[in-house]
Amino acid sequence: MSKRLIIILSILTLLAYGWPAWTRVSTTPFTKSSFSPRPPFDFPIDHDPFMDQDFIGPGTGTGMVHVGSICEMPNKQLGAVWYGGTREGAKDVAIFFSKKPLGPSTTWSTPRIIVDRASATRELNRYIRKVGNPVLFSGPGKQLRLIYVTITLGGWSGSSLNVKISRDSGHTWTDSRRLTLSPFFNISELVKGRPLSVNMKGGHNGDRDHFAVPIYHECLGHFPEILWISFSRKNQSIIYNKSRMAGGDAFIQPSVAPFNTHSATAFYRCLSPTRHIAMARTDDGGQSWSLPRFLDLPNPDSAVDALPLPGGRILLAFNDSPNHRGILQLAVSSDSGLNWIRIHTLENLPGQEFSYPYMIRGRNGLIHLVYTWERKRIKHVVFSEAWVDQKLEQALEK
Amino acid sequence: MILLGKRPTGWIPTVILASVSTLMVILPIAGLPAGRWLISLYANPCIPLTSLLFSWILKNAFQMNLLNMGAIQTCRVFSILAGAALYPMALGVGAFDPYPAGWHFSWLFVILLSVTLVLLFLKNRFSVVLVVTILAYDLHLLESSNLWDYLVDPVLILVAIAGLIARMVTA
Repeated sequence: MSKRLIIILSILTLLAYGWPAWTRVSTTPFTKSSFSPRPPFDFPIDHDPFMDQDFIGPGTGTGMVHVGSICEMPNKQLGAVWYGGTREGAKDVAIFFSKKPLGPSTTWSTPRIIVDRASATRELNRYIRKVGNPVLFSGPGKQLRLIYVTITLGGWSGSSLNVKISRDSGHTWTDSRRLTLSPFFNISELVKGRPLSVNMKGGHNGDRDHFAVPIYHECLGHFPEILWISFSRKNQSIIYNKSRMAGGDAFIQPSVAPFNTHSATAFYRCLSPTRHIAMARTDDGGQSWSLPRFLDLPNPDSAVDALPLPGGRILLAFNDSPNHRGILQLAVSSDSGLNWIRIHTLENLPGQEFSYPYMIRGRNGLIHLVYTWERKRIKHVVFSEAWVDQKLEQALEK
Repeated sequence: MILLGKRPTGWIPTVILASVSTLMVILPIAGLPAGRWLISLYANPCIPLTSLLFSWILKNAFQMNLLNMGAIQTCRVFSILAGAALYPMALGVGAFDPYPAGWHFSWLFVILLSVTLVLLFLKNRFSVVLVVTILAYDLHLLESSNLWDYLVDPVLILVAIAGLIARMVTA
């Protein structure tokens, strides 16, 4: 190479590296975050003790359903998604969507498929063998978002994550977009937990909605992560990053409960022989997490879900057994998750499965819980915080 | 290359390679072009591996020496070092994950800039591959938006290890 060529290439190199430095600084760096819960922590509550339950969609007959999630959509209706088919991982598994107006005596709409392996293959322009875990969420804008799992080869460890967006509360959806989240053939990334609305410091914030999505890696190691994802309100632009909550091989499916703008507690499904729920804490908006510590609550290698309540309390839905998913329990903690009081048993039928709880708090203060009911249906339970208080008082009296 | 006046030295392999490449792009198998089946499993072939392949084709079909042995050896060693720094930690060893450094301007960019400039002044042609790598990243030529995916991939690591072993055996 001649000296002139070296000088030209050196200048080109400096410009080529300088460009991403400039563009990345001028967009969202994802390095300083704070939680922005919706509805806010100080939301007024004026409900009487109230609890109701129904099923989403008809029974599946001989088929199965699993991994439900629910959100309050921009049009103020409830939306729910889950996957279902003849069996878990089967080629006919599709992701279903149903909606329901808020209020009593309303019913869930007939479920319809929003993505299956054929449509995912077409939209992603590659072979998709099966689809799985969907999570539905909205935010301050008018967009409804779906993050879901696709698998091209192998089992769950071959998973990749994809995004679809609806601007009309689930009536129509954009084509799927693949998220590249792993350097190893972009596999082994899954989602289960409820996304959190966050504020990001620095960069362009005004025209974007930012979320922290609890995800997890499941290949050689098994560990929880946060997907930081930012959606443009004006176009299809998505910017994302991820950070690790813990390393190792024991904790997956994080559920994050923030109790102020910078502090939150995460609860992990435990894969180790310890068979207890683990927790970790952040005080910097989810950027770094403490080492996991085990709680005095059992975990049969099953997902848990935690929801923050006003006053720093946390509501936890979990399988209350070290070895089966037949008991689904609610518990409340008033000390950031260190100690728990069991307040209500939702299901208790050893031998059956009541699993994968997923909770949200609506704008009207009501708490919505969905979970897999015997792998046959997705059950929806709605209750007020006053009902939680009442159950807590009854539990303390015992 | 033919348009540039370079005549292929091995007509039959060149025609076969060109035909297979064309078929992979246009021939649908079960509704997807053959190339998309490959993309289904391997969506982000990194730039150094593409450069090695391109150099190999130019050398065998047109006797053009794009990357000399020094550059290829540098590529192999660099790839193995980059893979050793990335994959164990990215797959769960320890609490630190270096992969997110590729999504925004970070220490990874500073290291790569330094390595590129050093190799340029050493007149090592692998420096040109690194310049092409960052240009490809700037232009978002791969599905990924992470610089690591432009720099290294598992197939490159295997190719680099196999190349180094073959080199040691024949030396």
